[in-house]
Parts: sequence; C-alpha cells; structure tokens
Amino acid sequence: MLPKGEKRLVHNSLTSEAPHRFYIADMEAVRACGLVKRFDTRAAVDGVDLILATGEVRGLLGPNGAGKTTLLRMLFGLIAPDAGSARLFGRELDGLGSTALDAVGGFVEEPAFYPYLSGRANLALLARLDGATAEPRQIEDALERVDLARRAEDRVSGYSTGMRQRLGIAAALLRSPRLLLLDEPTSGLDPGGTRAVAALVRELAGQGVAVLLSSHQIGELEKVCDSYTVLREGHVVWDGTATELVAQAPASAYSLATSDDERALAIARESPGVRAGRSPRGELALAISDGGLDPFVLALGDARVVIRRLELLVSPLESMFFALTTNGAPLAELEPYELAETVLASV
Amino acid sequence: MSAIAPDLDRVGSSVPATPRPDGVRDAYATELQKLLAQLSTRLLMLVAALGPFAFTAVLRIQSGTPSDALFGVWVHSSGFAVSLVILGFAGSWGFPIIAGVLAGDLFASEDRYGTWKTILTRSCTREDLFAGKLLAAGTLAVGLTLLLAASSLLAGTLFVGAHALVNLSGVLTSPGRMFALTVVSWLICLLPVLAYTSLAILFSVATRNGILGVLGPLLVALLTQLLDLVGKGVIVHFLLIGSAFTSFYGLFTAHPFCGPLLVSSLVSLAWIAVALTASWRILRRRDFLATAAGTTTRKPNWLTPIKVFGVASAVTAVLALACNLGPTGVTAYRVAATIGPEFDNVSLLQQALIGRHAPAGAKLDVQPQCNRRGAKAVGPGDWNCNLYVYLPQPKSVPFQVTSVEYDVSVEYDGCYKVQSPPAFIGGPTMVDARGQSVTNPLYIVYGCFNTL
Repeated sequence: MLPKGEKRLVHNSLTSEAPHRFYIADMEAVRACGLVKRFDTRAAVDGVDLILATGEVRGLLGPNGAGKTTLLRMLFGLIAPDAGSARLFGRELDGLGSTALDAVGGFVEEPAFYPYLSGRANLALLARLDGATAEPRQIEDALERVDLARRAEDRVSGYSTGMRQRLGIAAALLRSPRLLLLDEPTSGLDPGGTRAVAALVRELAGQGVAVLLSSHQIGELEKVCDSYTVLREGHVVWDGTATELVAQAPASAYSLATSDDERALAIARESPGVRAGRSPRGELALAISDGGLDPFVLALGDARVVIRRLELLVSPLESMFFALTTNGAPLAELEPYELAETVLASV
Repeated sequence: MSAIAPDLDRVGSSVPATPRPDGVRDAYATELQKLLAQLSTRLLMLVAALGPFAFTAVLRIQSGTPSDALFGVWVHSSGFAVSLVILGFAGSWGFPIIAGVLAGDLFASEDRYGTWKTILTRSCTREDLFAGKLLAAGTLAVGLTLLLAASSLLAGTLFVGAHALVNLSGVLTSPGRMFALTVVSWLICLLPVLAYTSLAILFSVATRNGILGVLGPLLVALLTQLLDLVGKGVIVHFLLIGSAFTSFYGLFTAHPFCGPLLVSSLVSLAWIAVALTASWRILRRRDFLATAAGTTTRKPNWLTPIKVFGVASAVTAVLALACNLGPTGVTAYRVAATIGPEFDNVSLLQQALIGRHAPAGAKLDVQPQCNRRGAKAVGPGDWNCNLYVYLPQPKSVPFQVTSVEYDVSVEYDGCYKVQSPPAFIGGPTMVDARGQSVTNPLYIVYGCFNTL
C-alpha cells in the first residue's frame, strides 16, 4: 500500500501502444486521452495522453508550434478536440467551457483583462463569474500575494506585461484552485518575480494543488517540476519524472576553472562519463553524463587540483529537451563547448 | 496497488458537469457592470437624459418646427408632440445607434481585448455568458429607451406644457389620453429596439469586429430608409425592423387600427429569434484560438471588408427589387377616405379656435379627389387632392363652396403630411379668439390610414 500522496509510476493504460508513462496518486486532476486537434490539414495536437495527479507539478515542454498552448486551450475548454477526451477531477470536459472548470485556475498565453477597469475591479468581476460574491479580503489577499496591492486601483491599461502576468496569477489564486494550468507564467517578470512564482507553485503543490506548467525557460521549470511531458509536432515524445530525466539525459555541460587546467583535462579524459575539451577562448568545457560528475570531482581532489569554478552551462533537462525536439547532430558527437553552444542556442 | 485501484475506479467514471443554477445571474451582473463602466454607455445615458431638454430648449428659442416629422408642427403647442417627434427621430436613427453602441461591441470587445479566454475559464458556461451578455444589453437598451421617453415627456411638459394635441384624425385630444398614448407608443417601440439590439449582437458575434457591430444596425436603418423611398409593396416594408417604429401611429387616429402594430411586433420577435439563434450557433461552435499577438481575434483579412460589402450590396439589390412585391397599401380610395373626414375635423377645429362654434352635430361635407403624381396611380409618394367643401347647414359655418388643391406626401406606412396653400388657409400660426398666437391646424395636417 502506498502512503497517501506518494506517487507511483505506472504504465499508460489508456492506449494499447503504451508508449508513455504517468503518475497516479490518490486522485487524478487531469486525465486526457488521445486528444487530437487539427487546423486545416495540420495536426497541432495528435493523440496526446496526459495524466496529472494532485500535488504534482508537471512541466510541459516543447519548441514553438509543438502543441503546448493548443493542449492547454483544450484543457480549458476554449477549443474542442477533434478526437479524444479530457476529464478534470473526473468530470468530462465538453469542450465548451463548463463547470468541469470549477477549481481550475490559470491562463493561456498572456493573461488578458479589461483595460478600462482597475486591477481590483477585474478581480471582483472574475470572482463574480465564479459565483462568489467577491469578498474584499480575498481579493486583497490575492493582490498582496502577487505584490499588486499598491497598484490595485490603477486601470489595467496602465499595467506592464509583468504586472498583467501577476494579475493573471492573482486571478487564478482567487478561485482557490486544485488544478493550475499555467502558460509561461513568468513571462515578463523580473528575477524576483520569477522566484516568487516558483516558490508559490511549490507551496501550492505542497497543499495538494496539481500544476501543469508550460514554459520556455527550462531552467525555471527544473526548480519546480516533479515531472515533464515533452511535446514535438503535436506528439508526446517523452514523459516521466525529473529523476528519470536526469538519468536519461544525454549529457550536461559545464565550464571548469581549476588551479591546473592541463591536469584537470587529463583526469577528465580518464574519467568514465566525462568528455572534456577547450573552448576557443581556452576555457575548460566538460560534457558529463549522469553519474559522471561526482567521481570526476573526487579525482580532481585526489590529484590536489583545486576547483575554482564549476559552472553548469547545460542542464540535463536542457540537453534532453534538445535531443528530443531537434534533428540536430547527436550530442555525443559534439565537442563539449559545442554541445553547450548548440543546446543553449536551441533552448 | 490495492490502495490505488479504488481511486482509479473513481476517477475513471465520467461525472457530467452540471450547470451552475445562478450562472446566468452572475454573468448578467458582470456584463452589466462592464457595460456601465464604459464611456460610450455613459455618454448614451447622458444624451438620453439631457438630449430631449436641449432639443426642446432649441425649439423654444426659434419659431421653426420640425414639420416633416409627424406632430412636428405642434411642438410649440403641446409637450406630447415634443416627445412624439423625438420618438420619430429615435426610430429612424437613435434606436439603431443605441443598439449598436450597447451590443455591437459586446462580443467583439472580448476578441479585441483577448478576454474570451479569461472569462471562459471561470465557472460560467458559454450559455451563461451568452445569456448574461444579451440580458445586459437588453436591459440597458430598454433602460435607455425608457430614460429617453421619460426625459422627452418631462422636457416637453416643462418647456411647452401638457396641453391637448390634435391627433392624426384632426381631433383635439385631451392631455390625459395623449399622455397615455405617448407612453404606450414608447413602450411599443421596445420590441423593435430589442430587435435592433439582437441584430447588433449578431453582427458582433459573426464579424468579431466592434466597428461593424456598432455600425451594422445603423447601416440597416439607413437601408430601411432607402427602401422606404423606393418600394411600393407592403411585404418587404413590414419585414424590416424599422417599420415597427411607425406602427403605433394607428393608435392616434379616431378609429384606431392595430394591424400594422401586430404584424410589426411579430416581425420584431422573428428578428430577435433569428438573430439570437444564429449568434448562439456561431458562438457555441467557436474555437477560441490564439494569434501571434496572444489575443483571440482573427488575423486581419483584407477579404473580409470586401465580402461584407459584397454581401451588403447583394442584399440591398435583392431587397430593392423585392420592395415592390405584394399589393401597395396606398391607394386613391384610402387617401381620399381618410383626408375627407380629417379636413372636416380640422376645419371645425380652426373655426372653434377663432371663436366660430358650429352647432352640435354640424358637419362639413368635404369631398376629396386624390391622384398620385407620376406614372403609377397607387403607392407612396407625392399626391394631390382637390377638396370640394359643401355647406349642408347654410349660415352656421361661414364656408363657401369651394375647391382647393392640396399637396399630400404619403409614406409607405399610410401616414401622410398635407401642406395647404397659405393663400387659402393662412400661415403656420393664427390669432385665436383670446388674441393669442396659436398653431393653425389647417396649415399642415398629419394623418394615417391602415395599409393592410
């Protein structure tokens, strides 16, 4: 028996092909099965299965045009799927917007509001649409949580992109959501705002809120996500936990500065899972597969080589994302510094 | 696994989403709040509240009258005429503008602001939002109409006075009855106002363009005015929303007729049903997609205005051709049969005003002969009527047997304006028995007959 809240990896039981895997916890927030959406002859989403458990934070990744936003729009009932079905907390989403969206918050693309109303009036209006006679305290709390209380009486037409983004998060929080669908939630936010959103997502997840998070900022996703779904051309090309991802990632890229770079380079060449080279600027660059880093660092220590800087250039998620979503050269064939440059240029 | 199995069973069963019982109420409240927060709505309210006072004040400081409008010549004599003239203008242009401004941007603005995704991802269904929006637009359209009615009556009463008014059969009607008829007329216009509002909603939903939504009803009103000028048949005229704004004139005659009123009311209901059904079908099946800008508007397409122009031109051409379908309600017999008794009444009223009272039951024998100018013998347009006046009771009324030719301008709806030759009946005003300047009831005569 699994303890409450603990996730268990199971194979997809929705399709006979079972190419992907999901997590089933004590209750599913989202169960999408075989979702298809075509525009003209092009399939923007083509047979996507997705299960999101309560308390799970799942990153939705993919290059532009992969189908992330279309998938989120279908889950929000903004567009009707051509095939497949989606259930939110067990309730069928009929594709027309319905009370299946109760307890579902979030936004797709940039949050939009009525520019001629103030931020507070917009929230009050949305709260009314939810059937709640907006209690000023709730609205105030939401505004304070996103640091908009001081500008709450200003018309939204005067808000910056980041402020609209924060108002969008406040609008989502106002529903006391059990499922958050967030599309690029940190777009336009400053680093402080980005960190605050990440902290908020983790806090909500700790309270059992399921979060499906789409973002281009992979580094930001790595800090908060328990699992990932990677889309490419409308298909799910990878689905799994963060741990699995690190294990399966082709390589991570690092920049290294030591007290003796030549010695470090020689040790790297002898270390399993580590490839090393120099960048055109003469810096040490490493490509390290899962599990290769710790023995390499210990070996440097044994050789009395002092590590002065070890900087992660390409994370496992970034290299995985690159490998899954591009048709570029295999990462294993690239020089470490080329790996860093290639991956960073693509993500 | 045993701990998971019950959960899988639970979530695997489909639980249908049930509509929230108060979803429409909440959507209505929010839409009303949004509309009231907009500058355009507030401007409309200001114009509806103060416009009639400004109009009446301008009339007071000048001697002219809007005599082309029914009751227009009486605006200096009775406050009810002021209200009815304003109602006439509103029917032509005011109500389409109100409908367009209130409802033409109601759906399109959600596309412009990109807020469909914001409101559709709350707990209200599309049905709730659609119903809430149209109820809010309907409420404000009705509210503005009633505000205009109240302010026009108040302005007329305060500036001119709640005096008796000559009706469309030439009979002086008491202030109480005229007040009731005026109020009923404004209420009758609510239905076509709602029809225009529904049309604006259809434009807004179908084009997703606020400009087309706002201007759509106005263009339809313009088209109606043009068709009123060219067509002679009754069928197409009665199928236009605008015809309903003149249907109440039948109540202002000595023998009220309600046929046009009933037909136009049914036509308005049909317009409402068709426009709202079409709007809902479009909205219900719509996918709310994104553009590169992140809004839910469609990409600007240069073909759209051309298509709209093409369709509008085709519809106009078809309607113009169809305008002559069916019988014409304006015939020589009907014109003569209405003008005769009316001149009898108006002549006696004029004599009474100057202190010459005919004995009870006295009656002139006015025998008109009316002919339409132009190639066609029937239909709206310019007519001339020769009125032969006989004196069955010699010496009681100082009229001589005479023949006078009058110019009669007859509209498609059977309402007409008779311009009398000044040399025979005097100027627009005359001095009554008390020595006061009053409107000459024979100078311009308004009337209506049933075209059905």
